[in-house]
Amino acid sequence: MDTPSATPASRTFNVPATATSAEGAQTLIEIDNFDFYYGAKQALFDINIRIADKRVTAFIGPSGCGKSTLLRCLNRMNDLIDGTSVKRGSVKIRSIDINGRDVDSIELRKRVGMVFQKSNPFPKSIYENIIYGLRIQGVKSKSRLDEVVEKSLRGAALWDEVKDRLHESGLGLSGGQQQRLCIARTIAVEPEVILMDEPCSALDPIATAKVEELIHELKKQYTIIIVTHSMQQAARCSDQTAFFYMGKLIEFGETRDIFMNPKNPQTEAYVSGRFG
Amino acid sequence: MPPDINTAADTGEPSSKFAIQKKRTRLFGLTLDETIRVFFGGNALVAVIVLALITFFLFREGSQFFGQNRDSLRTYRLAGLEYVDIIRQQEEDHTALTRYLFDIRLKAVVQLTEQGIDAAEINRRLAAFDAFSERYSDTIVPIRGLVFELTEVATDIKTRYNENEDYKVARKNFLAAGMKAEADEITIKDLDFAKEIVAITGTVSAYEQINNEYADALKASVTVLPTLPVASLQPRLERFRELTREYLATFPGRLATLKAWDNNAPVKWTEAFTQFIFGTRWLTASFWQDWYGIIPLFVGSLMISCIALFIAVPLGVGAAIYVNQIASPMEQRLIKPAIEFISAIPSVVLGFFGIAVLGQALRALSQWEALSWVPGFPYSERLNALTAGCLLALIAVPTIFTLAEDAINNVPRAFKEASFALGASRMQTIVRIIVPASLSGIVSAVLLGLGRVMGETMVVLLCAGNRIAIPDFTAGFTAFLQPVHTMTGIIAQEMGEVVRGGIHYRALFVVGLVLFFIALLLNFLAQKIVRKYRISIG
Ligand SMILES: Nc1ncnc2c1ncn2[C@@H]1O[C@H](COP(=O)(O)OP(=O)(O)O)[C@@H](O)[C@H]1O
Ligand SMILES: [Mg+2]
Repeated sequence: MDTPSATPASRTFNVPATATSAEGAQTLIEIDNFDFYYGAKQALFDINIRIADKRVTAFIGPSGCGKSTLLRCLNRMNDLIDGTSVKRGSVKIRSIDINGRDVDSIELRKRVGMVFQKSNPFPKSIYENIIYGLRIQGVKSKSRLDEVVEKSLRGAALWDEVKDRLHESGLGLSGGQQQRLCIARTIAVEPEVILMDEPCSALDPIATAKVEELIHELKKQYTIIIVTHSMQQAARCSDQTAFFYMGKLIEFGETRDIFMNPKNPQTEAYVSGRFG
Repeated sequence: MPPDINTAADTGEPSSKFAIQKKRTRLFGLTLDETIRVFFGGNALVAVIVLALITFFLFREGSQFFGQNRDSLRTYRLAGLEYVDIIRQQEEDHTALTRYLFDIRLKAVVQLTEQGIDAAEINRRLAAFDAFSERYSDTIVPIRGLVFELTEVATDIKTRYNENEDYKVARKNFLAAGMKAEADEITIKDLDFAKEIVAITGTVSAYEQINNEYADALKASVTVLPTLPVASLQPRLERFRELTREYLATFPGRLATLKAWDNNAPVKWTEAFTQFIFGTRWLTASFWQDWYGIIPLFVGSLMISCIALFIAVPLGVGAAIYVNQIASPMEQRLIKPAIEFISAIPSVVLGFFGIAVLGQALRALSQWEALSWVPGFPYSERLNALTAGCLLALIAVPTIFTLAEDAINNVPRAFKEASFALGASRMQTIVRIIVPASLSGIVSAVLLGLGRVMGETMVVLLCAGNRIAIPDFTAGFTAFLQPVHTMTGIIAQEMGEVVRGGIHYRALFVVGLVLFFIALLLNFLAQKIVRKYRISIG
């Protein structure tokens, strides 16, 4: 880059050409004045954010700032933890408040899938892992299941590696393959949104690159929200980035702007690597 | 002489010390670490040694049983008891057949009563049948007489033999104590079995004659069958005739056995084992012959354990799943200690409870009209396998609960989260992920629960009814409502009364040995299964 940049950070990051443009993107998730508590402890403070459809949004920030907490609020995984509560505000997906009384959290999770930090395939065969979501929905047709397995594994760029051992344990795969298996398992139920909580933090660079490549592929069909530790990764994969600090949303915008042209000094300090 | 370059280093202290040597605080010449290691290592060693001693002791006391059992079987044969029992079996088979007739009569009476016919009329209608069955049961009288006489003879031979053996022991004891005069007072007359036995085997031709007459009488008695007033029972009578013919067909074989029988035939070593392991009689302090067959005790233990597990597995595993996966923290704090407290109740107190409350309550329940469809209800024995099984379930629940809860708790949280994130409900997650992932842990919990139940003594002694017999399984589930005895119960009950070193004493030790091996096996399996499961979870 020839133009002198506003911040030192811009020299470190190459914003990829694959970024989806902001124009024409529709809002899918709206979070308004959102406060969240673990028991008496407030973890999120007045979050306001609009997440666009079919784009990749990255959540960044120092550890403990509430990225995972917010992500888990989007499919109500926090319901599993005792004592959690939403004290104020709302999360709306397609204008429906997901914390509303008439919302079935099980149906919600079928539409909002999740990939975890540590890959967690079930101690079952690769095949059974993929069709788990369909099995619990009562799908029995063998041909349909076979079709979904192939489609999902292809979608997760894993088909060629495992097609000959579909009935072996999913735990026998390498770490990167396991994580892609988890992604395949998630897309098998055809969600609209995929939440990824530091999906690459336990992977080596090559496996990481594969998952990142996959994210580019997946965003054609899915809205992706990825929590990451690594600013390079956020810069490489995401279209939009949200920076959190101490449970508050500090800055949110196009990834290019956040990294090259941050408005908030805290953001600038973080992306330039001065803390975190 | 060249100057020694090392001299300075040897004599002078190095200025800065590289202090990596062991500290000098020592106890009996050991450092603190080593002392601790020796202490715990020593404890572990003591535990292993004690276990080895127990095993050795059980083996030593138990193993001599088989020799004694063989001697007992040999006497049984030498004194002719075996011969008499062959004929007695014939008599008992006949009794079983007359019972069959009795059963037909009972059914007929029930049906006729249901038709509203009074007792006098029923007896009148059954008169022909009664005459028939009386004729039938009288046919055995000559055989019965012979068995009675032979029993006297054989008992006499055996008694004299045993007395003589006792004298021998006494004499040896006197001699060992140096009391020559007393020893000489005891006269020992060794029995000549070959001569004595003639009193029994010599009757074979008499038997042959009696037997032929008996066979003829039997054949004659069933040539014409009476007509029953209830037509539907007639086929049973036909069946009875068939059974009688089958019975008759065994006669020539029996006669041949008797003729070939030899009181001197050797008793094989294996017989001493098979009589114990497959023996269906546990009969002690009998005037005739003692039998030490473990089957009735084993079956009793097994039945009670089955009932206990049947109740305790759903309860224990269900509670474990509930507490670990569903209950609120409040409930967890309440339920867990409550269940674990059960195991702190002394089992004798539970036994009390079983006698005073549960047995009574179950019997009252069985007499309740609305439950009369349950097989075996109503029943009258207050203490039976069911009562003991229910109480043992109470003992097994804490073991199964605690270990199963542990196993479920060990299922990585990530599995559960992944399942929920894929849109599974709580129930689906439990059934499809949590239980399969902890299944081997649960199975081993059940095995250890079974071990706990098998080894429990006080409750079964107090509540199982203590009848040494294999329950009648032909009647299906009612077998579980009959009193039984158990391996643990028999040891506790009889060990106090037996002669140390006697065959009965040793037999009880072998039963203990069997229990020991069952416990060992169950623990081994449980550990193996758990180990496999750890590997599969990764
Ligand atoms: N299960 C929990 N119970 C109580 N506090 C929690 C729990 N999980 C996270 N927290 C707290 O919430 C805050 C945000 O955590 P988290 O969302 O995991 O941060 P991040 O993912 O950004 O590292 C932290 O202060 C953390 O201690
Ligand atoms: Mg996190």
